[in-house]
Amino acid sequence: MSLKNKYHVFFSSKKHRREFLEGVLLILPATIMNFVFGYFAFIYTFYLSFFKWNYITQPLFIGMENYVRAFNELIGGLLGARWYEAPFFIGLRNVLIYTAIVVPIQTVLAIVLAAIASSRVRGSSIFTTSYLLPGFTSSVIIALIFIYFFSQKGFINYILNLIIPGFGYPDWLYLKSLIIPAMAIVAIWGTSSNLAILFIAAMQSIPRDVLEQARLDGAGPVRRFIHVVFPLIKPTVVYAIIVGTIGALQMFDLSFVMAGPQGGIEYSGMTVVLDIYRTAFLLLDPGYASAKAIVFLTLMYIPTVLFLRKYGGGFR
Amino acid sequence: MALSKRVILGIVVIAIIAIAVGLSLNLVGQQKPSVAVVIRFSGWGAGETEVKNYEKAIGQFSKQYPGVVVKYEPISQMYHENILASFPAGAAPDVFYVDSSWASIFIKQGVLKALDDIDPGIASVKAQYYDFLLKPFMGPDGKLYGLPKDWSILFLAYNKQCLARAGLTTPPNDWPSFISSLKAITDATGKPALVDHYHWRTFVAMALAYGAPYPDFTSADSVRAWFNNDAVKKALKDYMDLYLDGYVKRMDAGKTPYVVLPRDVDSGWGGEAFGKQAACLTLEGSWMIPFIRDQFPNFKYGEQWDIAPLPGGPGGRFTLAFTVILGINSKSSHAEDAYRFAKYIAGKEGQEFLVIGLGHTLPTVKELATSPNMWPEHRKTLDQLNVYNNVYVWPTMRSDKAGAIIGTIDTVLQSHIANMKQTKTYDLNSLINDLINSIIKNL
Repeated sequence: MSLKNKYHVFFSSKKHRREFLEGVLLILPATIMNFVFGYFAFIYTFYLSFFKWNYITQPLFIGMENYVRAFNELIGGLLGARWYEAPFFIGLRNVLIYTAIVVPIQTVLAIVLAAIASSRVRGSSIFTTSYLLPGFTSSVIIALIFIYFFSQKGFINYILNLIIPGFGYPDWLYLKSLIIPAMAIVAIWGTSSNLAILFIAAMQSIPRDVLEQARLDGAGPVRRFIHVVFPLIKPTVVYAIIVGTIGALQMFDLSFVMAGPQGGIEYSGMTVVLDIYRTAFLLLDPGYASAKAIVFLTLMYIPTVLFLRKYGGGFR
Repeated sequence: MALSKRVILGIVVIAIIAIAVGLSLNLVGQQKPSVAVVIRFSGWGAGETEVKNYEKAIGQFSKQYPGVVVKYEPISQMYHENILASFPAGAAPDVFYVDSSWASIFIKQGVLKALDDIDPGIASVKAQYYDFLLKPFMGPDGKLYGLPKDWSILFLAYNKQCLARAGLTTPPNDWPSFISSLKAITDATGKPALVDHYHWRTFVAMALAYGAPYPDFTSADSVRAWFNNDAVKKALKDYMDLYLDGYVKRMDAGKTPYVVLPRDVDSGWGGEAFGKQAACLTLEGSWMIPFIRDQFPNFKYGEQWDIAPLPGGPGGRFTLAFTVILGINSKSSHAEDAYRFAKYIAGKEGQEFLVIGLGHTLPTVKELATSPNMWPEHRKTLDQLNVYNNVYVWPTMRSDKAGAIIGTIDTVLQSHIANMKQTKTYDLNSLINDLINSIIKNL
């Protein structure tokens, strides 16, 4: 049957027409929102990236100049420019380090948490509830609490000195080498519980008879997890890694609160999105900020697509 | 899952009703004869009390001017971002707060309406205000572009008991003696003498007192010229040496430091460290006064702590003022009514209620300096005005991008202080180069 005939048959049925209408009605609000706040914003950002503007005057078309500036910052940073010469590069470098710390740890931790929560071990429900709580708390509030935890006489140093006597009392948010790890700790604590919910759902969807069969075949809990559970939740793992990576690369709230809108000591707490915000609203240069956003989007998009092509079979 | 016919019908009916109600309201609005002018007013909402007080003041204004309806739209988060975005959207309010660091660009770009063009009697209005508060809001055309609604002053707060133990009744009057007194205060009390942020505001007040010219950061050459001025270099060296000797070296020697950052004494800012009595002196503004009253009610002004003017130097004695104007949108179709409202809020009657009544800041109308309701702490800061050669309004520089430049300067200073803690030294030339280059990048 040709495609045209298939459509004809489909829409000639009253039931199918109604289903189609219902479907359109149900996706309409989300689609409109996506177009207005997603695609329109994206297209407008792209358009703006070719202009010099300060919100007040008429935008002035300057061609690729903003992109040249953005690439110069990246190259300048690579060649060792002073920190204030290359905030975009520093933001990118910081956010890559942050992502490299956060994504693997939060994913593994979330899987372990989900495994514990899905088990029938006594007390697992209390554990699940208490652990999932941070996932429902605003990241800004979490960051504000952790500012006190990371102060010189704060909780983190207290605990570390109990575990490692003589560890010392570093000022985490004031030291260039420690501020990104500090943000990573906060992010891992806050987001692994969110991801754990995904994994709990994935694990609970595994048919019990498959697990039972593996048990009857003599597989212990670890082998069951490696050879049965993990392959079955792999699409969720891929999804968690992609979502986690995109979220980590776009990090803004933690750096804004913990490092401040200027990005901290020598921009050691700067991220790309914080730099874009700073360029748009503190330096009054939304055109340049837009160009940075487009460059960043491109840099993020390519590895995401490559990763999806290699590992995303089940996910797609 | 299929939706039933009833559900779909329900959705359609609700949508039709919503559209019909919306249209009818719009039609009613169009048909209704316009009896009142509506002006929109925005500022940042600095707490529930202030917002409520503004609502009351607007109520009072409405009684006097029943033909003008003021729609108060406080912006509690990211005020400047919202205001900036409202211009291209054509949704900017008629009257809005303009911070002094934004005034220059707003005036130059024609965002604000010149009050001289609205009020032929503006000279008598100007005469009511402190002259130094109006200066940053005068355009190149000599016209005034807004009325300052309140202000804060930078002062030196000191713990009287600390000073008494060091044999002092008041802090020394000039920067060099002030700096050298800090060690004696710490030695006598066992607590850090000064808590300071190491920010632009302290440094610029100090540099001006050392004889530096008013900072002109309008071009790369002017930035280089300012930082290569001998008085600026001397002030910067003394300022950085103070932390090197007063904190870094003292800590290495296992002694109590005589100068600290707020974070060194587990505080978020100078006022908190001072209120906790973790340090004896701090350079803070009027905003510290209600904070101390609220958070440290047992730390009594007059008995335990007092206020002194900032120290001076060979160039004179200077302090900083922080103010915000009520500006009129140049595209407002009700500019005269908007001005009438701004004049009421920033006028004697409005400030008596909003500023003196709340007690958080200082009145900009000179006549209110003698108000019996003014807090004694605020009165003292006003009484000390005559000791200064000049009061400069923040951001204390000529530049269209003052906000970004100050952020950069503060980050550079903080970065060198942080490195100093690690390396136990600092390089003045490297610091000056970083300040110059980072400012030029943001011009």
